[in-house]
Amino acid sequence: MILEALEREGVEYIFGYPGGANLPIYQHLPEHPKLKHILVRHEQGAAHMADGYARACGKPGVVFATSGPGALNLVTGLCTAYMDSVPMIAITGQVNSTAVGRDAFQESDVIGATSSVTKHSYLVTSIDQLPRVIHEAFHIATTGRPGPVLIDICKDVQQASAERVTPERLDIPGYQPNGHVDLGHARLAARALASAERPVILAGHGVLLSHAEEELFKFAEKAAAPVGTTLLGIGAFPVNHPLSLHMTGFMGTGWNLKAVQNADVLMMVGMRVDDRVTARLADFAPNVKTFIHVDIDGSEMGKNVRPHIELVADARNALEAMTPHVGELEAGRGRWLAQIDAWREEHPLKYTHSNGHLQPQDVLIDMYKRCRSEAIVVADVGQNQIWAALWWNYDRPGLFINSGGAGTMGFALPAAIGAKFGRPDKAVWCVAGEGGFVMTAQELSVAVEHNLDIKIVLLNNFSLGMVRQFQDDFYGGVRSQVDMTHIPDFVKLADAYGLPGIRVDTLEQVGPAMDAAEKTKGPFLIDFRIDPEANVYPIVPLGKSLNDFWEAPDK
Amino acid sequence: MIETPQPKTSPATPPAHAERVRVLSVLVEDGSNTLSKISGLIRRRGFHVRSISVGPSRQVGRSRMTLTVDAGHAETDQVRKQLERLVEVIEVEDVTGENVHSRELVVAKVKASEVDGLVERGAKVLNSAADGTTVEFSGEGKDVGDFIDELMRHGVLDVARSGPVVMRRTA
Repeated sequence: MILEALEREGVEYIFGYPGGANLPIYQHLPEHPKLKHILVRHEQGAAHMADGYARACGKPGVVFATSGPGALNLVTGLCTAYMDSVPMIAITGQVNSTAVGRDAFQESDVIGATSSVTKHSYLVTSIDQLPRVIHEAFHIATTGRPGPVLIDICKDVQQASAERVTPERLDIPGYQPNGHVDLGHARLAARALASAERPVILAGHGVLLSHAEEELFKFAEKAAAPVGTTLLGIGAFPVNHPLSLHMTGFMGTGWNLKAVQNADVLMMVGMRVDDRVTARLADFAPNVKTFIHVDIDGSEMGKNVRPHIELVADARNALEAMTPHVGELEAGRGRWLAQIDAWREEHPLKYTHSNGHLQPQDVLIDMYKRCRSEAIVVADVGQNQIWAALWWNYDRPGLFINSGGAGTMGFALPAAIGAKFGRPDKAVWCVAGEGGFVMTAQELSVAVEHNLDIKIVLLNNFSLGMVRQFQDDFYGGVRSQVDMTHIPDFVKLADAYGLPGIRVDTLEQVGPAMDAAEKTKGPFLIDFRIDPEANVYPIVPLGKSLNDFWEAPDK
Repeated sequence: MIETPQPKTSPATPPAHAERVRVLSVLVEDGSNTLSKISGLIRRRGFHVRSISVGPSRQVGRSRMTLTVDAGHAETDQVRKQLERLVEVIEVEDVTGENVHSRELVVAKVKASEVDGLVERGAKVLNSAADGTTVEFSGEGKDVGDFIDELMRHGVLDVARSGPVVMRRTA
């Protein structure tokens, strides 16, 4: 009954791992050839795969895990999806309903453990509940602000049989996700931005989730307002457009931060305005007279920054409603845009080769040339993530995937695998540091088993680079527990898993290694030995305001 | 989670503290996870529960909660907004302020057998025995507080006090 319901919801892939409490489901899996099950090597990998799948193709990712440790291994992956509003359905086995609460073998309170990292969850103790629950779960996961929904199903329910029923019409009184656009507020917001002297728009993940890129583009051009994106909003606005401010936040570009800090009207669309965007909150955008916040989740209004005009609505609907009200621009934009151009000149992204080491940017620039705005790049967490975010002019949505809110190390490889299942037509590149990579490296088996065409770009600096950088600059220069000298020989590791790998030490070797990777159909790993001292710039020192960003040293 | 007779606000608390406290009337779906979802949310967001009363509502399968919550460092309206995000929560009404009926219940056992003073205040005698008298009283929070002060003079043996149950006054 569970599997039939999944078929009915249009599920194609399930990322999962069998165990005692979900065996009844697995027993019937072969009867459903339309449901392709991907056997992972660790449940966390399953959650990240489902996450990467959902982010790449827009459909909810589906995960199976057994009770107890199996389900608990999902927690990090659920949190990652929850923080970044990714639709996911996790179906976990639970002990028999009569055994619940008796500390049975592999029993754990999965609902309790996951309540704070799921949009909603269900414990199913009777077969009658199942059709409704599964139908509701998909609805809740994919509508409004998307998120993971967990369904914990007792083993006896999995074994029970019942009449085949089509789920009743959805009736969830506590869930009304689609707020309509308040047209009065939309007009106010549009007029406020149009009449601003120094307007700035920031776009977040919500713009991508609601496919509002075109509406954002039209609105921004009509209002002649510069647009920056959050880390997760990358792709919402083309970086090479003259109005682009590239990425914002505490590792954002200098010209973006200058613009935000000097803006008089700031419109924030589809974003949470979290601490990584604001840096020191008290000094965030201090010259703004009118904050405008557009988000589908009303609780985001005033959670961190109190807006003067709020629009609780889907980003696309809101932008569509605002555009006609921009009207003729009262104040000329010439001076403001010229000022931003000057800041762009004054604070470019830069890096140096002063110490003779291979620089991460060398690798990424070569990789991105091959991506040609077509391939999907999945980054891990840490320096590799920010380099991958900053060193390419993403000009369209859906090409950059990373764990923004949760910042989950080990995300990239399984998420890249999921992304490849979701978009088999796309080349997929996985960018990771050696620290995060070894956290979920066991999923290489999945890439090999399914001969997935994924190119793994390891930016190996033999240390936890971001932590090392923070220790150097913000924690008294004490390097503590960041040394990663004792990691595997990645070429041998690749070989052990059954995929080809090459090691690259110099700039000259980058191109040929990338050529070899591209020529190979199937997974390929390149261990790039990069400058162990390479840092992420710009960066706002911890606890400081966006005004205080540091830039890359010239030498 | 039920409030004990001693109010938690100390005189040293700045007035801003009181402004952070909201009284919310919340209609919820009955379910094994509802109470833990609500209490978990309140904890996770850095809010604090001052009192909570739950009972069946008029509608089958739904309960009415009256929550008194301190928003902590968050904007006070965040409490309502975050509760509304829960699928288990059907409706949240902010009933903070004057224009409401607010009632708390106290049941107390006192040593004295002579409780006329308490009865005059509106208390009802539930039981009278050799070892003491059990009375109940309901009223606004302040009246309940005064009543408990009065109890002290009768030799209190035990007190149980509910959180407030609140309903908006209708014209």
